[in-house]
This record gives sequence, structure tokens and C-alpha cells, in this order.
Amino acid sequence: MKRFALAGNPNCGKTTLFNSLTGATAHVGNWPGVTVDKRDGVYKKCAEPVQIVDLPGIYSLSPYTPEEVIARNYILDEKPDCVINIVDATNLERNLYLTTQVLEMDVPVVVALNMMDAVKKAGDSINAKLLEERLGVPVVEISALKETGLKELMDKAFNESKKIREGQTVLETSPLGHLIGDVKIALKGQNVANPLFHAVKLVEQDEIEAEMHKETLPMVEDFKKTYNDDIFGTDFEALVADARYKYISSNFASVLSKKSKDKTQMSKSDKADKVLTHKWWGIPIFLLILFGIFHLTFGEDLLYLGKIFSLPSLEDLGLLDEDGEAINFGVRILATFYDGAVMSPGVWINNVWNDLIVGEFFGWLGGIVEESGMAPWAIGLINNGIFDGISAVLSFLPPILVLFLFFSILEDSGYMARIAFILDRMFRRFGLSGRAFMPMIMGFGCSVPAMINTRTLADDKERTATVRVIPFFSCGAKLPILTAVAGAIVAFFGVGNADVITFSMYVLGIVTAIVCVLLMRSTTLKGETPPFIMELPTYHMPQFKNLMAHLWDKTKHFVKKAFTIILASTIVIWALTHFSFNWTFLEDEQVNESILAGIAQLVQPIFTPLGFGSQLGQYGWVFVVAAVAGLIAKENVIATFATLAACLMAVVGLDFGELAIDAEDGIDAVQAMIQATGITIPGLIAFIAFNMTTIPCFAAVATAKAELGNKSTYHWTLVFWLVASYVVAAIIYTVGSWWWTIFIWAVVCAGVVGCIIWRNKMAAKRLN
Amino acid sequence: MGVLEIILIVACAAIVIGVITASIIKKKQGKCSCDCGGDCAHCAACMAAQKKKQSKNI
Repeated sequence: MKRFALAGNPNCGKTTLFNSLTGATAHVGNWPGVTVDKRDGVYKKCAEPVQIVDLPGIYSLSPYTPEEVIARNYILDEKPDCVINIVDATNLERNLYLTTQVLEMDVPVVVALNMMDAVKKAGDSINAKLLEERLGVPVVEISALKETGLKELMDKAFNESKKIREGQTVLETSPLGHLIGDVKIALKGQNVANPLFHAVKLVEQDEIEAEMHKETLPMVEDFKKTYNDDIFGTDFEALVADARYKYISSNFASVLSKKSKDKTQMSKSDKADKVLTHKWWGIPIFLLILFGIFHLTFGEDLLYLGKIFSLPSLEDLGLLDEDGEAINFGVRILATFYDGAVMSPGVWINNVWNDLIVGEFFGWLGGIVEESGMAPWAIGLINNGIFDGISAVLSFLPPILVLFLFFSILEDSGYMARIAFILDRMFRRFGLSGRAFMPMIMGFGCSVPAMINTRTLADDKERTATVRVIPFFSCGAKLPILTAVAGAIVAFFGVGNADVITFSMYVLGIVTAIVCVLLMRSTTLKGETPPFIMELPTYHMPQFKNLMAHLWDKTKHFVKKAFTIILASTIVIWALTHFSFNWTFLEDEQVNESILAGIAQLVQPIFTPLGFGSQLGQYGWVFVVAAVAGLIAKENVIATFATLAACLMAVVGLDFGELAIDAEDGIDAVQAMIQATGITIPGLIAFIAFNMTTIPCFAAVATAKAELGNKSTYHWTLVFWLVASYVVAAIIYTVGSWWWTIFIWAVVCAGVVGCIIWRNKMAAKRLN
Repeated sequence: MGVLEIILIVACAAIVIGVITASIIKKKQGKCSCDCGGDCAHCAACMAAQKKKQSKNI
């Protein structure tokens, strides 16, 4: 099967083209650096099936970061039958810099002029025929997004793949032409493949090439001694780059006709950036947008209309019966989006899902089990263990999807890249570049791809610091914990708003990450902050197809996890709560004699300074069990609460009538825990904070181990997560419970900062 | 203990053992999993899933 490689600058649309050609749903983002590894798929509409390989984006074939090495090595070593060089037509000259390097290889090349729809929309035009003549390889106008020109592109690539092409360089006519020619002849004599490409790279003083051709290097150095430039001296890398750009601007500038000759005229993206990336307003706008997202996802009073206009509740309108139930089905539907306040879209979808779909479905299933005639313990296992655990987790699917829909909109529109730009100013002061913020943003989705994305960071110490703080950016799996506990605080104690609590916890994660980065970069991971250069993508309307693909991926994974890991965990937890150490079966009321309780009670005192330890009495161990179960998968925390709720309800005799508690709903399960243990609000907030910042799930830990490489760094990372989560949760609990302890913590913090400053001063002194 | 209870115990044991075994096999093969749903090209599990899908298509 023929193999075609997709190569191009970051964010030029390679993955969009890959998805369009292969029908895949690979993650696409409107920011540079989304793809960090190669991936392949099959295109079937040519004369024979063709393997398409999507490579990470690169600006040149002289790589700096690990993912750039992947792209270069693939083209050189795997020898694809054709390279499809995707060129962002809206940034023609800069993109052609890579093209001039790809053309130096002995491989068939086809240039795909992507985003031609955007060029035409702006009133500009590109003479593709003229470009084709000057480049000497076929050029096809396409729009990967609108899927136009793809058939022509693939047909041309297929025809080209049958030909043998020898590399050509635009440097031939430059003053370096002779030097490159001599090195090429020498390499050809040694039977080196792609001699022209290697010759140029050797002249450029490329480190990888110098390592590969050690025996040729002295000869190249001898050639170089005969050459000196007035401007660049013997900086051959700069000389080559300058020669390329000079060639591009003199030969290809005429290919592009711009509608507007007024260079001072700003595009819509530039105008938007003037506000959104403003030096002072940038960060407040970002926080406002973030709060808006949380309000639309979790707010039970949309735009606070209920409070402003004192809207009547369903009870005031006489639409509820004496038991507080809806008088008919219509009112039940009305209650999903209105009850004294208009609910936000996220809450509305959540209510429909939980009240009318999940609740009804699992209620119906539970009824069948009840009537099956099975032994009471078996009914308990199915209804209280399995069904309650799974349904409690599934009850959080709507808020997760709504939240990620908003995040996907931000990402696809191009705003996420601006956040990295805005935060670069702030992060730089703490020792990280804005580039490191992109993987952190990915951490809002899942820590695993986020940690892998740190490969885009060239500096090892910056990379380690970033991997360590990624779990502090609350991922989708932690959302059920946040939502359930925040919802339970509002429902049980009647204080605060769920959207404000959830938003605050996200901000807490970001602040913790910043503080930890500051500490690490000032002590163990000290190093210079690498420069941050990032191309800001043009804003565009998010693509419906992309958004739905993101959501479908999330749903698929969430449901799969619920019916595998979560299901297995609920069974194990149920079994451990229903057997004693001498393997006697226990009733729900005897839960305190169970294996799980016995083990958890041993560990319980450790969590006392965090508010969910010994002070919670004999049932406080449930929080310990939930936190430990969360190490397998974070959704397990809520599944564990739901499974344990049934036991606690039996033993404590919780009043369901008053609280309307139903363990199938995660929020209700947490309310049951609150009533059974008497945990306080600071204790609950500390519990969220601990789960957000502690050791992440097994999958993320395995990824961290693989990405960090060094065993000692990995072990210290585990210690770091444990210590950070313990300290953060302890601060929250103690300050929340006794406000005056803030002064004690302030003294401790001042001491730590003082030690760091003193240590740094001593180190500087030693250096001097 | 009736037939239904025995089936329930066997099913539960099979689920737990199956999930644990699958995780161990995945780990031994060096495949970690992420939250993307199987199409991200970030983790080894997704890449393996794609290759499997691809070979089936061919």
C-alpha cells in the first residue's frame, strides 16, 4: 500500500485534512501543537487504498522539540511515497519556508494550498499555476474544512508517487550554492540517501546531521573556511535562513494578490485581539468568560433573574401537591427548567437527564430486580451497589458535556491560543513560558493527553514542572466530585451557589499550579524561562462537526468507563462493605464491622487536619474510602458515595422524606454522607481540593511515569502530589474553620519564601 | 442460594477479573489510556485501536 505523509506548519490544517481524507475523528484544535505524535489512516478513493500519515506540525526540518524530530525522521527514514505539504494560504510566505526544505529531499511532493476559502473570503487571490511553475511540483487549491479540492489533491499525489523525484534547492542561486553543491557531491560519493538535503543541513550546522555524518564533518568545515559573509559572518544557520527568505520574497510575493493595499488596516481578528489580549483587560476578560461558562453550566438562577425579579416558585404557583411533588407531567417538565428562577441550560439538560431519563430507567430496572424473587443480599448488590454506583456517575454526563462544549468552542474559535499568550506575561514571572500553558489547558479535558503534549516543551525542567501541575487543572473525571459536593453544599446547608463554588475550585486549581510552579522553578527545577513564540491563529466560527466529535469522544469514553472500571469498583466496594475480616456476610447496618471500614478507620486519623478524618466519628471513614477509590478513576469517588449511601441510610436511619434523598443521584449521595458524618462546609471544600490536587488516576500516573523518564523524578512527582494536596486541603480546612489560622499559614508561607530567597542568594554568592 | 444468585456472583466475579486482567494486559503492552474515547493519537491505546480498526477495514 502506498504511504503519503502530511507535512506542514503547526495549525495549518493537517489534522483537519487527515480527518477529511480518512474519516477519522482525531482531535483538532485551533492552536499550534495539538498533534504531538504521528497517526495513520486509510484513504480509499484512489485507484488503490493509500495510507495517510498525519505528522506533528513543524516550522522547519531543523527540529528543536521531540515532536518535531518525529516529523523529520518520518520523512527521512520511513521514505513515504509522496509528501503532501500543506501550506496555509493565508500565511503563504512563512509556510513556504518549510516547503523549500521539503523540496530538497528525493521524494515526490505535492503542495496543498489549504484555507483557500479564507483567502477568497478576504478578497485576495493566489496564482496557483504560477506557484506550481516556480516550485516545480504540483500545487492544488483545497479547503480541508469544507472538503473541497481533496479528490484532485489525492489524484495528483497518487500520480506523483509513481514518479522518481530528485531534490532541488532554492539555495542553488545563492552565494552558498557552490558550497552546498560541493558537500552534496561528497555525500553522493558516500552513497548517502537524500544527499542534497543532508548537504544543506550540514552547511546549516544542524546538530542532528553533525552527529549522523561525523566522518564528513571535517571536510564540510574545510569547505566552510573558504566562505565568509559580510553580515552574518560564519553563522551558517542564519545565512541559509536568510537566503531562503530572500528567495521566497523575490519569487513568490507576486503569486499573492491582496485586495487591500492599506497595510495599516486591521483584520477582524486583530480588532478582537486588541480587546481580548489587552495588557490589563486580558486576564479579567478570561476570568469573566470562564465564570460565564460555569454559570451557564451549573447556575440554578440564570443571570440571577430569580433574585432580581423575585420570581415565584412552583409551590407559590400552587403547582406542587402536599408532598411537594409535581401535580402533573407538564409541571414535572416545567420543574426541570423553572422553580422560582430560570435554570441555566446546563442545569436544565441535567434535570431532564436525571429526573426523566436516568432516574426513571434505573427506577424501572430496580423494580424488576425487587420483584425477581432473589435473596435480599443479591437485590442489595444489584440495586444499592451496582445501579446506584453507575447511575450516580452517569448523572454527571450532562454537565460534563455542556462544560466541554463550551471549552471546545473556545478552543475551536482560537481563543484558547490567546489565553496562552495572555498568561505568558504572568507565567514568565513564575518560570514557565506561555507554551507550557497549552498542555495545562488540555488538562481541563484529561491529564493523559495533556502530559503527552508537554513534548512540545524543549526544556526538561520546564517540562517536569508542567507535568507535575497538570493534574491541578481539574479534568472531566473530577467534575462529578466538584458538581456533587458543590450541589450538596447548596442543597444541604442552603448556602452559596453551585456555579460559584465550582468556578472557585477551578480557579483554586490554577492558583495552586502557579504557586507550585513558582516554588519548583525557584528551588529544585531552577532554570531559565525559554522564549515563547507562538503564532496566534485567526478567529473563526467553531465547526459543528468538530464540536460534536469532541462531545461524542467524551460521551463514549465516559459511558465505557462507567460500565467497566466503575462497575468493577462498585462491586468490589459493595463486597468489602458486606464482609467482615472472618468472611461473614454483613447486613447494611453492620457496615462498621466490614473489611473496608476496618482498613479505612486505620488511615482515617491522617486526614484529621483536612477536615474529613477522626473528627467525623465512626462513619467518617467513607471519605477516606472515596478518596482512595478515586485513585483508580476519579469518577469512583461519587460511585463509592452512592454505594455506601445505602448502608449509611440503613444504619443512621436517614430521613428520606425530608431530604428527598435518592442515592441514584450523586448530589443526594453526598447529602447522605453529610448527614451521616456531620462533615462541615470547610471539610467538604477541603475534600474537593484534596481530590483535585492529589495523585491523579492510574492512567495519568502511568503517563507521567513514561513522560518523565527518570525514575527518581517520577517518585518525587508522586511525593509532590501527595504533599501539595495535603497542604492545600489543610489550609482550606483550618482557615475555613478558624479564620485566625490564616496568620499562622501566612507566617509559614513567609518562612518558606524567605528560605527560598536566602537559598538563591547563597547560590548566587557561590557562583560569584 | 438459587440459580439467579449463582449467576449474579459468577457475573460479578467475571466483570471484576475481566477489568483487572484487561488493565494488566494493557499495562504490560505499554498502553495507557486517556479520556478521549479512542481517536486522539496521544496515547498508545488509541494508536493501537486505530491500527486494529484500519486492518479490519482493509
